[in-house]
Amino acid sequence: MLLIDCPWCGSRAETEFSYGGEAGIVRPADPDALSDAEWADYLFNRTNPRGAHRELWNHAQGCRRWFGVERDTVTYRIARSFTLPDAAGAADGGVERDFETGDPTDAEPGDRR
Amino acid sequence: MSETIERRHGLEAFVAATESVGGARVEIDVLTGRGFLNLRLDPRKGNGLETAARALNQPLPLTANTFTTGEHRVYWCGPDEWLIETDEERATRLGSDLAKALADCHAAINDVSSGHVALGIAGEDARTVLAKGCTLDLDPREFGPGQCARTGLAKATVLLAVADDAAGYTVIVARSFADYLCRWLANAARPHGVRFPVP
Amino acid sequence: MTGAQPNRLPTGGRVDRSRPLGFRFDGNALQGFAGDTLASALIANDVQLVGRSFKLRRPRGIVGSGAEEPNAILQIGEGATAQPNLRATQVPLRDGLVARTTRGWPGVRFDVGAINDTFGRLLGAGFYYKTFMYPRAWWKLYEHAIRRSAGFGAAPTAPDPDCYEHMNAHCDVLVAGGGPAGLMAALTAAKSGARVILADEQNEFGGGLLACTDQVDGAPAAEWVAAVVDELGDCADCTLLPRSTVFGYHDHNFLTIAERCRDHPDGSADAFSATNRPAAGDDSTAGRQHDPRNGRTAKGPDDHPDSGAAAGHHQDTVQPVKERLWRIRARQVVLAQGSFERPLVFCNNDRPGVMLASAVSTWINRYAVLPGRRAVVFTNNDSAYRAALDLTEAGAEVAAVVDSRRGGAGELGRKALDLGIPVLQGHVVSDVAGRQRVSGASIARWAGDGWATVKPTMRIDCDLVVMSGGYSPAVHLHSQAGGQLDWDESQLGFLPAKSVQANVSAGAGNGKSSLAECLADGVRAGAETVSKLGLEPSPIEAPAAGNIDENPIEALWRVPAVRDADRCPKQFIDFQNDTSVADIKLAVREGYRNVEHVKRYTALGFGTDQGKLGNINGMAVLADILGKSIPEVGTTTFRPAYTPVSFGVGAGESVGELYEPVRKTAIHEWHEAAGAPMEVVGQWHRPWYFPRDGEDMHAAVARECLAVRNSVGIMDASTLGKIDAAGPDVVEFLERIYTHDVGLMKVGRCAYGIMLGEDGMLMDDGVMARRGEHRFYLTTTTGGAANVLDWLEKWLQTEWPELQVYLTSLTEHYSTIAVAGPHSRRVLDKLGCDIALDNESFPFMRMKPATLAGIPVTLFRVSFSGELAYEINIENSLALAMWEKLMDAGREFEITPYGTETMHVLRAEKGYVIVGQDTDGSVTPVDLGMNRLLSNEKDFLGKRSLRRPDCLREDRKQLVGLLSSDARTVLPEGTQLIDEAGSLARGHRRAKRPAWRGSQLGHRSREPIPMCGHVTSSYQSACLGHPIALALVAGGQSRKGATIHAALPGRDPLPVEIVAPVFYDAGGQRQHV
Repeated sequence: MLLIDCPWCGSRAETEFSYGGEAGIVRPADPDALSDAEWADYLFNRTNPRGAHRELWNHAQGCRRWFGVERDTVTYRIARSFTLPDAAGAADGGVERDFETGDPTDAEPGDRR
Repeated sequence: MSETIERRHGLEAFVAATESVGGARVEIDVLTGRGFLNLRLDPRKGNGLETAARALNQPLPLTANTFTTGEHRVYWCGPDEWLIETDEERATRLGSDLAKALADCHAAINDVSSGHVALGIAGEDARTVLAKGCTLDLDPREFGPGQCARTGLAKATVLLAVADDAAGYTVIVARSFADYLCRWLANAARPHGVRFPVP
Repeated sequence: MTGAQPNRLPTGGRVDRSRPLGFRFDGNALQGFAGDTLASALIANDVQLVGRSFKLRRPRGIVGSGAEEPNAILQIGEGATAQPNLRATQVPLRDGLVARTTRGWPGVRFDVGAINDTFGRLLGAGFYYKTFMYPRAWWKLYEHAIRRSAGFGAAPTAPDPDCYEHMNAHCDVLVAGGGPAGLMAALTAAKSGARVILADEQNEFGGGLLACTDQVDGAPAAEWVAAVVDELGDCADCTLLPRSTVFGYHDHNFLTIAERCRDHPDGSADAFSATNRPAAGDDSTAGRQHDPRNGRTAKGPDDHPDSGAAAGHHQDTVQPVKERLWRIRARQVVLAQGSFERPLVFCNNDRPGVMLASAVSTWINRYAVLPGRRAVVFTNNDSAYRAALDLTEAGAEVAAVVDSRRGGAGELGRKALDLGIPVLQGHVVSDVAGRQRVSGASIARWAGDGWATVKPTMRIDCDLVVMSGGYSPAVHLHSQAGGQLDWDESQLGFLPAKSVQANVSAGAGNGKSSLAECLADGVRAGAETVSKLGLEPSPIEAPAAGNIDENPIEALWRVPAVRDADRCPKQFIDFQNDTSVADIKLAVREGYRNVEHVKRYTALGFGTDQGKLGNINGMAVLADILGKSIPEVGTTTFRPAYTPVSFGVGAGESVGELYEPVRKTAIHEWHEAAGAPMEVVGQWHRPWYFPRDGEDMHAAVARECLAVRNSVGIMDASTLGKIDAAGPDVVEFLERIYTHDVGLMKVGRCAYGIMLGEDGMLMDDGVMARRGEHRFYLTTTTGGAANVLDWLEKWLQTEWPELQVYLTSLTEHYSTIAVAGPHSRRVLDKLGCDIALDNESFPFMRMKPATLAGIPVTLFRVSFSGELAYEINIENSLALAMWEKLMDAGREFEITPYGTETMHVLRAEKGYVIVGQDTDGSVTPVDLGMNRLLSNEKDFLGKRSLRRPDCLREDRKQLVGLLSSDARTVLPEGTQLIDEAGSLARGHRRAKRPAWRGSQLGHRSREPIPMCGHVTSSYQSACLGHPIALALVAGGQSRKGATIHAALPGRDPLPVEIVAPVFYDAGGQRQHV
């Protein structure tokens, strides 16, 4: 069971989260202008990498925020969590997490200690 | 006329059927008479934060997973979401006061009094019983007085809070799950001896 | 025979001779002592035969003394509490224990199945696959018989009455294994201030120290162990878990431990050990400091705390916990699980009386039982000499130590010679005599070639053959965690190499062989982990222990026999799965090369073994045959569980009424009191129908339907999802989500809205109402409530953060009571409503706040039945009172409560779909004929997908109505629809079974019949007097009036007519009155 860092609430068990697929899939501004192939690409095609993968998670049983996680699809190691851009287009740098100790390395509101 | 109708929290049947078992190392109490308001507000925009604090006569917690205590308890539920626990009879009035005060802000206030049930879990084995169904680290050094968390307990989602006086935990659960959760708690607590205070 | 215990030594061991325990084995009454395991008690009673092997039915005896035991797999207990497949070596003896063997008919001594052994040469690897292949359909029968004869234990058929629980815990350092290394690691970590959990699978901590004669820190090892355990118990933050197997190492340092709370010598249980053992570190909240006397330490079987005060406290009322599953998140893990001794691979090495050397020492030193009187010790390393010395010390005769190494052993070898034990260097045991018990060993010279044939030079009579092929570190958890393994040529074993997660290995499991090394390695591992946690390691010195000078081990993977491997008596590698050298040779001959394939073909390491006993020997033999090195062949993958885990502990408390949450509405009690059966929808329990005296469901539903159509009905619709959507951008947001023109809705208006996935498929539907300029009230389906809210939040948070909208779930706050039927208005009027309810003042699809019977409510004039209807939203705490008032007010109109079934019939009569019943994630709104809901004026989620070529196909399945031609058959939901009935009808008559299965069942010439759709909803309509059905039919919307056929099991296809999917009041006048 993964231990996932919610950027707000800190480390929580995987069971509190729901998975939202690959991060960074942007909805086309004008879907009507797209060919069927282009639309299908947006709809269905994902990078599915071996290794680092940026993906969306929702802290469903916690603060209900969506956020990003960079996870290795081979080792499941999570390199970092990050918030998504807000209305102003700004996102914080994310919670860098030291995997060895499992602790976020910088103090966030939801830090463990 | 509504004041003549007794309000129900939905656990009447459960409470009526409970039997205390053995030495009470755990106490499970249904906390009645609570009202709840859900508040959504962007703390970074405008003066909504201060306005709300004035209307509540206490600050909104900005630190994740904490709550403030004053006339009410205000729980942090998310970066733009709080749950206000107050007296049942004050909830409606407080809600409309808040709504009026925040009329110029982008905010949402909803009375959700009937949607929540509060339970008190106390006794020397309270933490052990909660640990049976909760993946949080409940060690007081990690989760101590003044802290709260929305998390899972058994197969329900709850808001778990540690009372300031360290006397026990408050578990706030969605009403439709309350009966299930009480049964689960009673079962988990049984080996420790459990007492259900008479309402 | 009770009380005899012929093999019990008069003194020594860790058993309590003053506490005899009676038990039964295969019906015989036997006796052991407190502190015994079932296995040691069996040996004390000279029970040699404990089972028959899995395939060849060879008689088998106890081989090991721990988790690796392959043969003594017994059924423990009787009736509902019976547990199959427990290893006798891991079952603590308790009074009244009942055990029996599971293989052998009529009994384990005389087993007709033993004929398999006679023909054993035919029963090689893959025998069952090859022999029972034809005809293919018969495999099910074969498999049943084969599995029966394999004879693993029987699962009880009655519900398990025992009590299990789960426990979540967190720690800084979890130490798996409480032997010398684990104890030192735990002590170092705990003294450094870390939160420590130490788990060991045995009843007592100490591991191998309990079975050795060494001194630690100048004291007997067991005394040292007791002192360390006391010291750990005094540490504020150390939780000790004896009887607890760390069986799984999962992602992100999450580990699972099975604790056997009731494995106590007197049969008592810890009625509540967690009472005494705070789950998550110290318990200062409750003002209770950790108290070592209260159960966090277990000093020995005599002293078990849980049988004492705590149990007495609650025993009358409380069922004790049998097993507990610990779910632990550890920041660091020390793996100190020790090592497994390997058997040697010689002919008939599976005969009862052939035992591992470490097991023999354990029997003698820990349990004071002597497994034989005259022994031959066979080894390729020094460790087995300990067993020879222990045997001699205990009064047995060691006829010879047979050591394959020309140089023999070091210091232990000299000790053996001093005691006058004959040592044959450069020799091997090539064969063993005796069938149900060893009677002698054949000795041959060893020339270094395992595949050569040899001639025995002598035979030695004996009743015990002790073997040691060296030690394999128990790398299971390290490997489960994803860690790598490195082959060590000098120790001949795989050692833990690079870790992927936060763990270190220590002690024998890390390749350390001497006691002094293990103790020091434990200190190192403890210090290393606390340093990683940022703590200052406590300066602890490893205690002094003797270091013995040893000679190196020699590779001896297959012992030469009188004939080659295919024709000599079986040389077993995996006892439990009857895998021999010949089987591996056969597998290679048949083309298997990869170790994972060979494993599966020969069953090597299957069952409870999981690579404990035979793994390395098997890989070495395979490597030898393939002419490769062992690291080239590699090892198989280790997966949880390390040892078998009971279903009970996996389920924990989630059984019976706690299996799944039951969500109840505020009116639930009323429904129950009215006798309504419940339908489970998601986790909600909703009243299905309300039977009156003697009514069955059909009668009740017919009555309820007619009541709604003709008078008035009342339904609890509280389970619908309800969302408040508010904010300056709420219209823009909802325009993007819903398909209709949300902006055109005036305040106070309701609309039926649907939302699509980006793929264009219908996702959810519900009525929405505009409460204010910037505020909407959305409803969702019961099952979709949580998903829809998540979906909306996802778009708001990830894609459109610039939109200022807040969503708040109100599902749990409001009840929704639907009052439906021509008299519904009169019921509300009678109750007293503060707003005018007539059609002009409050028309269809409007929403208004109101006061009903003096209670504030929100009224929605919406209808899911097609009748005049109101939905009353009221806060839950007053909902039951409102329901009762409505029932009172409606009495003169015979207001009729109705359940989900009637609701379904009424909506089907109107052609309203249920998302998830009439749709399945592959249905577009166009397929459902909902084109009018699709705005041309804007974009919305999924809109573009509706133009994808596949969504434009004319033969897509589309929603239609169906009428049965016989006007009485209610088509089963899910019925397949076909265009042509002709061939199917003939097939039915000929085959007397549905012919569309003809292609599978012998009608090979017949082509499968294409189906053109399926029935999604189907009911008897009481008000129409005939059955109705909704269906998805290819191109159905343009086929109205056509006749197709419903394929019904066991009868001829039934012609059905395609009609419009609205059966009642097609104009919709009734809801507008």
